[in-house]
Amino acid sequence: MFFNSIAFAIFLPIVFFLYWFVFNKTKNTQNALLIIASYYFYSCWDWRFLFLLVFSTFLDYYTGIQIEKGESEKSRKFWFWLSILVNLGFLGVFKYYNFFAASFSDLLNAAGLKSSPLLLNVILPVGISFYTFHGLSYVIDIYYKRIKAEYNFVDYSLFVSYFPLLVAGPIERATHLLPQVKIKREFNFEKAKEGIYQIIWGLVKKVVIADTCATYANAIFDHYTSMNSFSLMLGAVYFAFQIYGDFSGYSDIALGTSKLFGLDLLRNFNYPYFSRDIAEFWRRWHISLSSWFRDYLYIPLGGSKGGLWMKIRNTFIIFVVSGFWHGANWTYIAWGFINAVYFLPLLLRNSNRNNMDAIHLSWNFNSVKTIFSILSTFLITCVAWIFFRAKTITDAVLYIKGIFTNKDFGFQYLDNERYNYELLLLIGLFVLAEWNSRTKIEPLSGKKSMLKLTLAIMAIMAFGTFSDYKEFIYFQF
Amino acid sequence: MKHFLIYTIKISVVILLTAIALDGLYTYVFLQSKNRGKIETVFNSKAQKYDVVILGSSRANNHFVSKMFEEKGLKTFNYGMSGGHLFEASLLLKLMIERKYTIKNVILEADLNLSNDHQAEGIAALFLPYIHNSETIKNHFQSQENFNELYYIPFYRYIKYDGKIGFRETFFTLIHKKTNALDNQGYYPLKKHKNGNMKNNIVNLNPLKHNKYYEEIKTICKANNINFIPVMTPMCENVTGMNYFDKVKKAYPEIYNYENVVVENKYFSSCGHMTDSGARLFTAIILKDFF
Repeated sequence: MFFNSIAFAIFLPIVFFLYWFVFNKTKNTQNALLIIASYYFYSCWDWRFLFLLVFSTFLDYYTGIQIEKGESEKSRKFWFWLSILVNLGFLGVFKYYNFFAASFSDLLNAAGLKSSPLLLNVILPVGISFYTFHGLSYVIDIYYKRIKAEYNFVDYSLFVSYFPLLVAGPIERATHLLPQVKIKREFNFEKAKEGIYQIIWGLVKKVVIADTCATYANAIFDHYTSMNSFSLMLGAVYFAFQIYGDFSGYSDIALGTSKLFGLDLLRNFNYPYFSRDIAEFWRRWHISLSSWFRDYLYIPLGGSKGGLWMKIRNTFIIFVVSGFWHGANWTYIAWGFINAVYFLPLLLRNSNRNNMDAIHLSWNFNSVKTIFSILSTFLITCVAWIFFRAKTITDAVLYIKGIFTNKDFGFQYLDNERYNYELLLLIGLFVLAEWNSRTKIEPLSGKKSMLKLTLAIMAIMAFGTFSDYKEFIYFQF
Repeated sequence: MKHFLIYTIKISVVILLTAIALDGLYTYVFLQSKNRGKIETVFNSKAQKYDVVILGSSRANNHFVSKMFEEKGLKTFNYGMSGGHLFEASLLLKLMIERKYTIKNVILEADLNLSNDHQAEGIAALFLPYIHNSETIKNHFQSQENFNELYYIPFYRYIKYDGKIGFRETFFTLIHKKTNALDNQGYYPLKKHKNGNMKNNIVNLNPLKHNKYYEEIKTICKANNINFIPVMTPMCENVTGMNYFDKVKKAYPEIYNYENVVVENKYFSSCGHMTDSGARLFTAIILKDFF
């Protein structure tokens, strides 16, 4: 059941009605309903994976309590590592086993030893990377005594399997979400209204921007060898907006949906394409994942403390692992590595925390510099996205080579019977709308909100791509 | 909560009114369509006189050279539609009759398309802008599974088939951007394709014993004194399951079998579609046999 499906449009009002009118007596009844709804939501993909979700929930719930209760360090360590290994084991088997087996076999073949990998015929359970990370952060926080274990199984289950964040995040923290589920929620009109704004804007991003860009990006990436320089450049830009619209659109719908139930989720995107350097980009893009890796990988590794080589090592580790988290393919690793390379000069010059302030433009030279910084950051981000989108690293390299060697910057008619330049106006309008509201969560709230809402609804209906349906990209991770 | 319910009702009203307004706007634009495609042209046309009207799928569209009919003094238009089924061919003929077209002969390409009586969604969608302006279209779609959504939910049809009748098509219709669908009196010539698929497997294909829309076309022709000429058109040499055409002949003895009058691969762009030179050979044979 996708957020932009008819099924979800029926599911959401039913759950909303039951939540506020039937199951609103206590927080326990509210939580119980949300768990039932979440399990139903998850089972709509494949009911068999429900067992995996329940097992993962139970494992972290139980080991969390055992760690807290553990009287000796040995016992605490045992339960801690049990949880970590089983969680990562699931991820390893379902997501990474085939990649490692195939890569190892390739390595043997390259060394002249003939081998064929033993591959598993398994489907990747939707959302496994997200709920596994929920559980991991919970157990790690208990082990390091940052939080107390949750003894109420229903409350803990809701923290892990709450349907708006279950399949593609944001990756929540126990410190943020658990306290909210432990109290009865009262209906708040303003919060619910904000939720509606975010849902509608998320739909604009998904069906108007992401899915339309996908039509063009796919036509270009899938036939990149016959594309001219201009098409290849546009293809990278279209994909940049496709993935942004797709994932941030999903996050907006998730956050908006959750607000309807009185629960705030972590903000996942903060207008990343208006970043002035790559460090700022990573503070604005997929924030819940970046901060997860910062808190549970980068800092434990020593973070920016220690010598220069340690800083460089930690930077590369966090970016490469972050890339690998996205998928079992060398292209994602290359994408992470490239971002680490982008980040390195900022780290070495100690300027990675330079652009922490809000962006202001006026008629002076500094503003020209700011615009140049934003455009150059976007440009290098697009180059990295080519690796993310391409099927292989070779494809990505040839794609970039094509941009420089083809030298034809004319309009091109694509295989999908569209001209390569057709979307530029739409993207321009979208960027303008986001730029004007960059200090807000979404552009629809504020003055004349009803008019803006009407225009957004009109845009979804008139400019949305519906027949060539595309599922959310991050579901595959 | 009361405020929120009122607010959601307001949004629902906005959605409904937007849908109605967009529906009206898009439909108005499609009603002005002149030079985009065959369906729009027929729908927005007045009475015409034709000696020959050609109907069918791409195997009609690419196989009957209208100009060769015209050279014989026969006013002809090729209304074959690439990707179309008999569902759409039948509806197009109904619209022509409704607009008081005088037609002497209908040549119907009836072969592979006899294997189903479904609509071809991509082509059928092009009729949908007019569903509220034509009883004929409404009645034709009434038996379809999603008729109620398409007919009663404003703008639903434009959303569902946005690739065919969405914003892009509406915009091009508004500015009267021409397509090549109406060039060469509807005939679309194909060139020899380097990578054309010259193999075809139709072993699992079977003609329906009573194709509803084939029968409809036959009945319409009879009722309007139109000479009905159903033909099977050529396929390339490398077809597995060529006995399909014998099965067609058995089920529909009145259909003329021309499947094997052009066979050499050099005359084909892909296995089921002849090149312009193949189409000319084939049309010459049809002209000789029937006119």
